[in-house]
Amino acid sequence: MEQATKWPMPALTDEEKRILQGEEGTVKQKCMQYLVELCRISGADKLVDLDGTCDMHTPGFNLNQYIGFTYDELAEFVAQGGRFKVPTFANKSPFYEEAPIHGWEQCNICSYRNPALRHDDPAFHEKALHKEEMDLLKKMGMITTHSCANYLTMSYLPSVGAQCAWFESSQMPYCNATLGARTNIDGSLATAILGKAPHYGMRVTENRYGTILVKTDRLIHTDMEFDVYGFAVGEACDVEVPVVTGTTRPTTTQYQKFNSACQTGGAVSMYHMPGFTPEAPTIEFATGGKPFVREVMIDDSILRKTYEGLNYHKTDKVDMVYLGCPHLNIVDLMLLTRKLEGKKCKIPLWIMTAPWLYNHARDLGYVDIFKAAGATLMSGACLAAMGAVPEGVDCIAVDTAKQAQYITGCYADEGDFLQVCYGTQDDCIDAALTGTWHGEWR
Amino acid sequence: MAEKKRIYGRCEYPGKVEGEALVAPKYLQGFTNVAPAKGYTTERNHPLYRVPYTGKILCFYSPRGSGGFLQYGFGKKPAGFVHTKSSPLTVGCMTQGHVPAMTDFEEDPMKYIETGDTVFINADEGYIEITKKEK
Repeated sequence: MEQATKWPMPALTDEEKRILQGEEGTVKQKCMQYLVELCRISGADKLVDLDGTCDMHTPGFNLNQYIGFTYDELAEFVAQGGRFKVPTFANKSPFYEEAPIHGWEQCNICSYRNPALRHDDPAFHEKALHKEEMDLLKKMGMITTHSCANYLTMSYLPSVGAQCAWFESSQMPYCNATLGARTNIDGSLATAILGKAPHYGMRVTENRYGTILVKTDRLIHTDMEFDVYGFAVGEACDVEVPVVTGTTRPTTTQYQKFNSACQTGGAVSMYHMPGFTPEAPTIEFATGGKPFVREVMIDDSILRKTYEGLNYHKTDKVDMVYLGCPHLNIVDLMLLTRKLEGKKCKIPLWIMTAPWLYNHARDLGYVDIFKAAGATLMSGACLAAMGAVPEGVDCIAVDTAKQAQYITGCYADEGDFLQVCYGTQDDCIDAALTGTWHGEWR
Repeated sequence: MAEKKRIYGRCEYPGKVEGEALVAPKYLQGFTNVAPAKGYTTERNHPLYRVPYTGKILCFYSPRGSGGFLQYGFGKKPAGFVHTKSSPLTVGCMTQGHVPAMTDFEEDPMKYIETGDTVFINADEGYIEITKKEK
């Protein structure tokens, strides 16, 4: 690759050069080789030192298809004192099975639709947790939050401006826009071990200013409106940085909805909501005083069309309801107990949260309330990530654009087999209690 | 002889390759919405739904969604990539794919390239050449 004249190397410090030459061992050398390659691909001029946190898919022993580590290689690194340089958290349950941490006993799903690999099989579950690899990572400092919304349980959030390296897509705007910290999609063993990441994208102040003004003629104030609006903003803006107007002050749940949706409908890693997000006290701050490149109006008709695109069903007979994409926070769970206490679900209702919140929910009595209502609280996983819906399910109801968008991809070879009803959480609860979909754009 | 249009841009991954263009008129998305073992997109309602991309020059504006877009660099991958805007999603894909790729052009190649055109990627020299298909 060195002959490529138009593929410049980043400027490395003397320390980084020494690591690249292998003077600090092969593990760090491989990490540096990988980060240098990322710099060359992205056009990054240098590496930055991380002063925030890392987030990565686990176990993650392979950095890509060409650079990776054996267990023994990392074990030797750990034995010699090798540790993560920055606080590092696990998103999702371990790959590639991505098994539920809690509730797997009720998870009648064949992993990636392989009948030989069932999530409710104790032997499969034990293997899917990758204990040996995870124990090694824990010795390096891995904090096993195992959630796509692990910011809910980190208890150590990056400060405004802190350089992080996260990987989970819905967490990109949570880190950049909601928290005001800085990340690209690059959390890995390499960034965690070296505490460095390529300097490009959202790490660069100039790239974080808003360039597109987004307006709407509907006051965005409900959870589903934030979800649908987020998806539409993503579709309209893709990798640009929008300045989003027309909303009430987002709740934590609404930030979760908007962030996951704008990273599904598009690739919005950073946005501003003037008056709400930390880098946008005013529109002028959000744009750096520069004029907008363009304006986008997402009116009610576009929102309705977006809603209809997320619905993918010809029947109103629902077989299952799934809530918890991204994983539900503790207030969501508390509110759900109010809606379900004393009721009885007619069809399966699965509720997904972060593993560490599951423990709190159990202590608060929520698990028992859900169980009495015929619902199941689970943690750490996701239907789309497990690559399937439970056996016998032809039509599923969800309250999140992200899950609606991804779950059908698992069934592409079966055409319209898997139907998806998308709507509000109340629409989903109603479907769980009646077995019928009554949701509509209101 | 068919006219060639040359557009200069940034080498995202080095190498040279020529092939038939497959243009995605809508954002491409990874994670569950691509099947790398089969070499096609699996996103419902996408214009390229189940259209094979293996061995083609996959041309698009920019991807969206999950970091799982990197799966376009797995398995039955394209011969090369041409896309308008780079992002962490394309960076992740190219570190997996290791096939010639160009982006950040002096003018948007998506205005010229149509499915079936021949595209020569010379990422080592920093340009692509488009030869229109015969009408």
